[in-house]
Amino acid sequence: MGSVPTDTLLVQAQSRLGQVSVRQSTDADSIDGVRSQVVAEPATGDEVAAVLGWASAEQLTVSVRGGGTKLDWGGVSNLVDLIVSTARLNRVIKHRHGDLTATVDAGTTLGTLNATLAAHGQWLPLDPPWSEQATIGGILATNDSGSRRHRHGTPRDLIIGITIVRPDGELAKAGGIVVKNVAGYDLSRLMTGAFGSLGVIVDATFKLAPVAPASRTVIVETDAVETLASVMADVQASTLTPTAVEVSCPPPRVLVRFDSVETAVAQQANEAIHLLATGGRVTRAVAGVDADGVWDDYARWWSEPGTLVKVTMLPQNVGRTLGWFRQTSERQNVELAVQGRAGLGVLDVRLRGSVDAQVALLSALRERFRSGEGAAVIRRGSPELRTAIDPWGPLGDGRKIMQAIKQRFDPEGRLNPGRGPVSSGPAVGS
Amino acid sequence: MIDPTLINAIEQAVGAEFVVSDRSELATYESDGLAKLRSLPGLAVLPGTAAEVQRVVQLCHEHAVPFVARGHGTGLSGGAMPHPDGVLIVMTRLNRILDIDIPNQRITVEPGVPNLNVTTAVSAEGCYYAPDPSSQVICSIGGNVAENSGGAHCLKYGFTVHHVLGVEIVLPNGELVQIGGPALDPPGLDLLGVLVGSEGTLAVVTKVTLRLLRKPAAVKTLLAAFDSTEAAGNAVSGIISAGIIPAAVEMMDRITIEATEAAVHQNFPPAEAVLIVELDGAEADVSVFFEMVQQVCRDADAREIRVAQTEEQRARFWMGRKAAFAAMGRVSPNYYVQDGVIPRTKLPEVLARIRDLAAESGLRIGNVFHAGDGNLHPLVCYDERMEGQAELAKRVADEILMFCLDVGGSITGEHGVGADKVDQMPKMFSDVDLDTMQLVRCAFDPKNLCNPNKVFPTPRLCGEVPGPYRAHPVEVAGLVERV
Repeated sequence: MGSVPTDTLLVQAQSRLGQVSVRQSTDADSIDGVRSQVVAEPATGDEVAAVLGWASAEQLTVSVRGGGTKLDWGGVSNLVDLIVSTARLNRVIKHRHGDLTATVDAGTTLGTLNATLAAHGQWLPLDPPWSEQATIGGILATNDSGSRRHRHGTPRDLIIGITIVRPDGELAKAGGIVVKNVAGYDLSRLMTGAFGSLGVIVDATFKLAPVAPASRTVIVETDAVETLASVMADVQASTLTPTAVEVSCPPPRVLVRFDSVETAVAQQANEAIHLLATGGRVTRAVAGVDADGVWDDYARWWSEPGTLVKVTMLPQNVGRTLGWFRQTSERQNVELAVQGRAGLGVLDVRLRGSVDAQVALLSALRERFRSGEGAAVIRRGSPELRTAIDPWGPLGDGRKIMQAIKQRFDPEGRLNPGRGPVSSGPAVGS
Repeated sequence: MIDPTLINAIEQAVGAEFVVSDRSELATYESDGLAKLRSLPGLAVLPGTAAEVQRVVQLCHEHAVPFVARGHGTGLSGGAMPHPDGVLIVMTRLNRILDIDIPNQRITVEPGVPNLNVTTAVSAEGCYYAPDPSSQVICSIGGNVAENSGGAHCLKYGFTVHHVLGVEIVLPNGELVQIGGPALDPPGLDLLGVLVGSEGTLAVVTKVTLRLLRKPAAVKTLLAAFDSTEAAGNAVSGIISAGIIPAAVEMMDRITIEATEAAVHQNFPPAEAVLIVELDGAEADVSVFFEMVQQVCRDADAREIRVAQTEEQRARFWMGRKAAFAAMGRVSPNYYVQDGVIPRTKLPEVLARIRDLAAESGLRIGNVFHAGDGNLHPLVCYDERMEGQAELAKRVADEILMFCLDVGGSITGEHGVGADKVDQMPKMFSDVDLDTMQLVRCAFDPKNLCNPNKVFPTPRLCGEVPGPYRAHPVEVAGLVERV
């Protein structure tokens, strides 16, 4: 009902939502440059339910917004009537340090959460981009992670319980607060990575990890991209237990990180240098502030302008893919930089160039992968690029199942329209 | 009673020798590992290929006949209990290892391959498959996917859901589709996340791609004996608080120690509780943390600590633990295996309540736990020849689950809801929670043919379309008003 004038909708919202904070939107609330009419800022799960229930009764379209760090990720948002902001859902609900779990509101930033957990020497072991601004809800909705995914996995590997509000305004939960639990369907994982297309995440419970007292990072610099593959293979075939194995170029280098007690990280770093310092590779280990500097630079890479694409592949194909990137980016006149999880076959690729050139490169890249053996998903990109080429790429056989799920959760297609991987479709078994 | 034309068509599809309709032969399949729940299937069929599975499901779908997939029948919640008017699809002939890719640490297998065979197939190459349920010698990968199986080592390495990268499945309408694959992060919704652990109610799995791990450089295992389960529980808390994530922390109490001693003579010290703690990883980490674990155990007044000096000793520790369920048969004519989860800090409180319950009921209750992750397996001993004891044991086992829920836990950590715990689901989840889960079911299986009557107490009618306006609960509660 995009035709209702803003002031009318605001007045309606204010009168019908009682104590829920509602205001007119500003430019700062826009998603992909598109402004909604009204912003609701519920402070509890019940208030989220009230907002969504009202939106359902009025047939309003709704987008969800957290810290605003990834609004240009995923599909291009359609115009919506209402933005639900999680800004007031910002509590660390409970840190059960003896159980190594925590429950947190969706609007809490990862930085705030981890500062709280640090009081007991624990953390939610995720290091995605913009941890200080990014909220738990947004990190879950995008299933985002960083270098230490190598050891700890992604949000979907760490979540153990969730509370959501469905598009029809019903508050539902799944999972629980215990680390091992197989009662009922795993909606926590289904919601993770769904880009808010199935429900509004209200809070989540995670298993945590102890903060390691010491860290060492071994840096291997090579003169050529080709050499990187042999470095990665050496690490992979060893019995080292790094928390991160990152490849980046340009300039070509591999970072191998160890987090544990001091004697253990020192010993593992020495072993790694002994293993990797061959054949003209420059190898050194850094710790303390030097290592912090390396990883801070590493994190800043994400903030530099350009399209961000997640490219997945079998780990053994990383070297070959890096070679292909170099050749193709030159041919297509696209500036290309890479950093990513070499040991897992998950690379972040940053592109700069004309929309046409980027589309050509991404199309060629997608053709390299057979279904299930790799994908190139645009994370951040201009609306023009994400309109010119499907940011998700082929979804394989799963597409129609995803459409059927979307249809069941959001039959009217009112929640985060355009942004999720699929729009509604019929049940697959019918 | 299965329509003879359907039986005929299934015989055509898979060969008459692989179709079982004789009642006495069908009795083989009347239950899974939870023998108290029995039901003869209308028909059992043993397809040999994914295409045959697909054809059987297509036929069931056409005839609107329910079907249930079964692996090796080791499940402990009746999840593979047959439907009396349905077709039981026995997956044991799909038992081939299809592809091993050591450089990428991947393996692709058919669902009937036993769990342990995966590790055996890649062991010489220095790799293994991490989830290790106690029944791993026999339980099938397909069943592991259905149940999201764990095992002793899931404390550090996670459950089946953390190790499945791709599946080929037959959807309830008979379509054969591939979800995920050897690369990580298949784009779109996390279908694998919801399929794994769905207890065979969304699809029939015909192929699975798994992640393999490199064997660790070092493994150290100790056994610590304590004078009370509380002291052992304190040691577990101490280990976790020290920032150590062991590969496994298992606890057994006096009753189960004595039972396994009689069965496998593993020579555990007599004690009220023993812990088995295993650390693995790089040499340096393991030796540092192993010292710390021993200190924590001493601080918790361990009366004896034995360190496995050889692989053979380590195997004996584990034999004692993994034999615990079967060994109870030696000390009690019957026993009921419960599966509940608690936050691990609630261990002393819940153990005290279980002890009181044992005293009140007059039944002996043995306890084996995956203590590191708070997963309890109380073994309620009874004698079915004594009037009323079986019912009493069931009540006692149910009561233990309520203790788990009281402290914020779960009614099942790894055995599943199956047919056994459907009535307990509403005690853990609201109607809306359960309804929301069933939205997923309706997307996959709107006709409710795929392993029906499991997991959920009340099936959702999937034909429902969004109805007219109902007062929102928040509105009813007076939090908001509708003008």
